[in-house]
Amino acid sequence: MIFEALKLSLLVVSVSTAIVGVVGLGFSYLLAKSSFRGKEFLDAVLTMPLVLPPTVTGYYLIVLLGRRGILGSYIYELTGWSFAFTWEGAVVAAVVVSLPLMIKASRASIESVHPEFETASYTLGKGKLETFLRITLPLARRGIFAGLVLAFARALGEFGATLMIAGNIPGKTQTMPLAIYEAVASGDDHRAQLLALVLTAVSIGAIYLTNKVSRTSFYG
Amino acid sequence: MLAINVKKSFHKQHGRLFHLDLSFSVNSGFTVLTGPSGAGKTSLLRMIAGILTPDQGVIELGSTVYFDRERRINIPIQQRNVGFVFQDYALFPHMTATQNIAFGVRTAASADRRAKAEEMLSLFHIEHIADRLPREMSGGEQQRVALARALSCEPRIALLDEPLSAVDIETRGKLLDEIESAQDRAKIPFIYVTHNEAEAARLGTNRIYIRDGLVAAAEIA
Repeated sequence: MIFEALKLSLLVVSVSTAIVGVVGLGFSYLLAKSSFRGKEFLDAVLTMPLVLPPTVTGYYLIVLLGRRGILGSYIYELTGWSFAFTWEGAVVAAVVVSLPLMIKASRASIESVHPEFETASYTLGKGKLETFLRITLPLARRGIFAGLVLAFARALGEFGATLMIAGNIPGKTQTMPLAIYEAVASGDDHRAQLLALVLTAVSIGAIYLTNKVSRTSFYG
Repeated sequence: MLAINVKKSFHKQHGRLFHLDLSFSVNSGFTVLTGPSGAGKTSLLRMIAGILTPDQGVIELGSTVYFDRERRINIPIQQRNVGFVFQDYALFPHMTATQNIAFGVRTAASADRRAKAEEMLSLFHIEHIADRLPREMSGGEQQRVALARALSCEPRIALLDEPLSAVDIETRGKLLDEIESAQDRAKIPFIYVTHNEAEAARLGTNRIYIRDGLVAAAEIA
């Protein structure tokens, strides 16, 4: 059972971190480099899950994606499938709560790249995409990596929103944090201890990694 | 020949509205732009490069129209093929000297880019710093790499924004020699912004003095 929860957690967290990496970079670039109406509103909406109680985020996810949800009802009609009570639902919950951490860190580091480097790349004939990939991204990589590690750690610990949308089905949607809750609730101290130790070790590892990365620099 | 006739108004720091109204034409060779800080010299270079867009006017290099408001022509930065030496060099901090120079070479094959970068390194006598990152170079070495990078794409014009302002006096004379011989090889117009009267006197075949956004005096050979 511990192994099942660990396996499921790793699946959910790796898929959600991959999605957060791609989507988060896109939003970070948009927020850092372009100006459009409603930019700060978009930032506020994306950041909201950082301050919202996870159960409230989860409630909104049910309203949006549940079987009778705003989008969920269409998905259910078309496919007979719904995010509710699936591991994919747990991925959505993990993405939504961890995306703000990625965006905060990577937007700040993309903004801190001196625009003169990008201008220099343009004068040397390089387009926007190539400039982003070869100049901006490598120069902002510390912040981007830190954002990814934070998002990974946040997704691993996700409890409230996951419980709301995906439920707590052992072997199907019961990730490690949910398994700890159930172990404690059913008086299985030994199992709770073991699960807690594993999660603690991963969290310490995440902090160590972000600190290590933020100390290396190109600028002398 | 470079022909400029541009107008632009913009807000400077403290919100003061600043008007730029510049018109002149020069042949290839050196053209030195002098004048007090904030007179519009850097803005002019940025308009030639396509980094800034004028409100009105025309920028032509030889038979190529870079910008013409009336005819709605505005060639993007990437296609203007200018060699720009930035005031603080803007060398890519995560790339070695060779990588910085190769970045600007406009050929597809990476072996060709490397060969061209090596050729540029030896032209500027900096083979010994080929694998160094910008932060491991002296000011003069950074300046040479910046110059080599700007010229590696075989530009049609070179724009140098106070290229020697961050270099000590002894190095300055040597670098001026190299800039002169680079121009001699490339045979393209070099537009050179400086505050330094000695540099201006030495390089100034054409001299244009800009003050408050206007050409206050011009000596054109």
